[in-house]
Amino acid sequence: MKNLALIFWSAFLVNNIILIRLIGLCPCFGITNTIETSAYMGITTTIVMIISTWLTWIIFHGILFPLNLVYLRTASFILLIIIIVQLLEMLLKRLYRKLYNTLGIYLTLFTANCAILAVTFLITESNFDILQATIFAIGTGAGFAMVIIIFATLRERLEFAPVSPTLKGYPIAFLATSLIALAFLGFYGLFGIM
Amino acid sequence: MVKIQCAILSFFVSIVCAAALSLVYAFTEPIITEAEKNSIIENLKEVMNAQQFKEIIPDSLWQALDSLNNIVGIVFQVHPQGFGGLIPVTVGLDSDAKITSIKISKEGLKETPGLGARVADLDFTKQFIGKHAAILKLKTDGGDIDAVTGATISSRAVCNGIKKGIKQYSKYIESKDNKKQLFFNAQNFVEIIKDTLWYALSGRDTLGVIFIGITFGYLDSIKFMVGMDRKSKIIGINILYSKETDGIGERIRDKEFLDKFKEGIPDAITGATISSTALINAVKRNIERFKKFLK
Amino acid sequence: MSKWLISAKRIIIENPVIVMMIGLCPALAVTNTVRSSLGIGIATSFVLILANTILSLTKKIMPDKIRIHISIIIIATVVTIVDYFMQAFYPDLRQTLGIFVPLIVVNCIILSRVEAFTIRNSVVDVVLDGLAAGIGFTLMLAVIGAIREILGHGTFLGNPIFGGDFKRFPITFMILPPGAFLAVGILMGLFNKYIKKPK
Repeated sequence: MKNLALIFWSAFLVNNIILIRLIGLCPCFGITNTIETSAYMGITTTIVMIISTWLTWIIFHGILFPLNLVYLRTASFILLIIIIVQLLEMLLKRLYRKLYNTLGIYLTLFTANCAILAVTFLITESNFDILQATIFAIGTGAGFAMVIIIFATLRERLEFAPVSPTLKGYPIAFLATSLIALAFLGFYGLFGIM
Repeated sequence: MVKIQCAILSFFVSIVCAAALSLVYAFTEPIITEAEKNSIIENLKEVMNAQQFKEIIPDSLWQALDSLNNIVGIVFQVHPQGFGGLIPVTVGLDSDAKITSIKISKEGLKETPGLGARVADLDFTKQFIGKHAAILKLKTDGGDIDAVTGATISSRAVCNGIKKGIKQYSKYIESKDNKKQLFFNAQNFVEIIKDTLWYALSGRDTLGVIFIGITFGYLDSIKFMVGMDRKSKIIGINILYSKETDGIGERIRDKEFLDKFKEGIPDAITGATISSTALINAVKRNIERFKKFLK
Repeated sequence: MSKWLISAKRIIIENPVIVMMIGLCPALAVTNTVRSSLGIGIATSFVLILANTILSLTKKIMPDKIRIHISIIIIATVVTIVDYFMQAFYPDLRQTLGIFVPLIVVNCIILSRVEAFTIRNSVVDVVLDGLAAGIGFTLMLAVIGAIREILGHGTFLGNPIFGGDFKRFPITFMILPPGAFLAVGILMGLFNKYIKKPK
């Protein structure tokens, strides 16, 4: 039990995927314009992470590892993620049309989302069992969502701040993020997690 | 119709790619395992200068052998818990249980870069050369090692990890070679009493005997090995095991003290009476006991 | 001649990382030393050129419906090949770069280049384009890596440049994640001021 809690806090705060591992920045800087958008993005990312974790874990421990096919890991994982995303998109379109209209656009972006693939890789490298893997995925997704929401808030504020033209737009966003990342470094050692 | 074509094409592409990958894997895999093995041996060579290494415990303990297959020491790996994760430390130990060198690999290190990660730097690791387990402590804990500034936890972890490793693995150093140290020109050793007494032979000549004795010192037992020539004169003595008080009882290991045995039975060490007297008396007892084997 | 001009333009003015915000993922995580930056940059360039070539050669036989999937399979295959070659011949570098080598497969540069350029042009154009993008990418990563390594470690490619006494000088902040954001932010600011044409 303690182990699971540590895994969660490590994935959520101490080793936050965006601010500490520096993975998943592509969508982070491209999409986060409003808080609402970011929140939807965060939720969908978490769901896709969890489902991908389950399926890739099964494929890895059930097929790749026992049959000595570990070299197929990269290709099979990314393929699996794309299939999952497309199936989810189709499902959403058929069943919850309204939801699809709000969230659907984000799904296509996940194919190029480093974070989801990274989560699956990290799980195979850390040798988690299925329960630990799920908690890890939830924690990472939550951390991801939290950071992009913080980021959206930041950018909304920066829109109205008096910034010199050289720094306006991305540069000041990056500099501000660097300070947030510095703050997150303070979590180092939380609950004994490093 | 198009759907089936798409499916077949995808399938075909996947098969071709998988086949290509398995070829690449088959080609590179032996190189990778070979490189891994070599890097392990490189790693071992960095801490101890020996001809070859024999793995005793996989990934943890190796015996260092010279060209004649004599054990010249051991190399072990410990992974103490540091600030950011486990710190991989490789330690070389010579036959006197003194550290030959240590190495902390920078690649596996998850300590804070610039702070805890500096335990891997030469400035820190070179302090361990030639040290005994007994005095392996940070200066702040009363020992000799300067911690890395701002990385006390990592530094202390390394010290304690090495100490534990020495305690755990030093028993693997005891070997024929200790006997070689006493009788250089002996060609072989014949066991007379199991684990206690050996003849040192060169060809058909008996050069002398070697015996191992155990006694109790101040804190713990003391195990020693003595070489005696045919005239019942001590030609050498080694302490195989002792855990007396640092700086006091442990001085029975001092070369100056042990060398005195070559000229006869020495006096006890002032300030370390109990440990040294125990050793001296045990040596005397054993000489009497085994003298007759020299006739 | 014009082809080279186009490529040069692509390296500096349209440098993928800074101007178009693409391919940032690995840009920040592994740039704490110049060596790692060059490693990832060159690996990505390899993948870019190889994958581009293969995709350009086979573009005729790929139906539109599954083009993306097949592209990804091929890119993933090339990435795995590069990964295993790295493990065999440069194991130390591969160990330092960790999971960022397999993550090249989702590097936005490769995918966006494939979609925008590769499937519409000839093989030669595609190779040149891949080369240009790769060089631009590697260069930018190397610059970020240099800033972070010089300020954070006091070394360049592992060689100390301030002399043995400057042990206290390095700004450890730069080697850690916030330093990455700072380096990129400042670089982008400089880029905006001096290179981008004012609107």
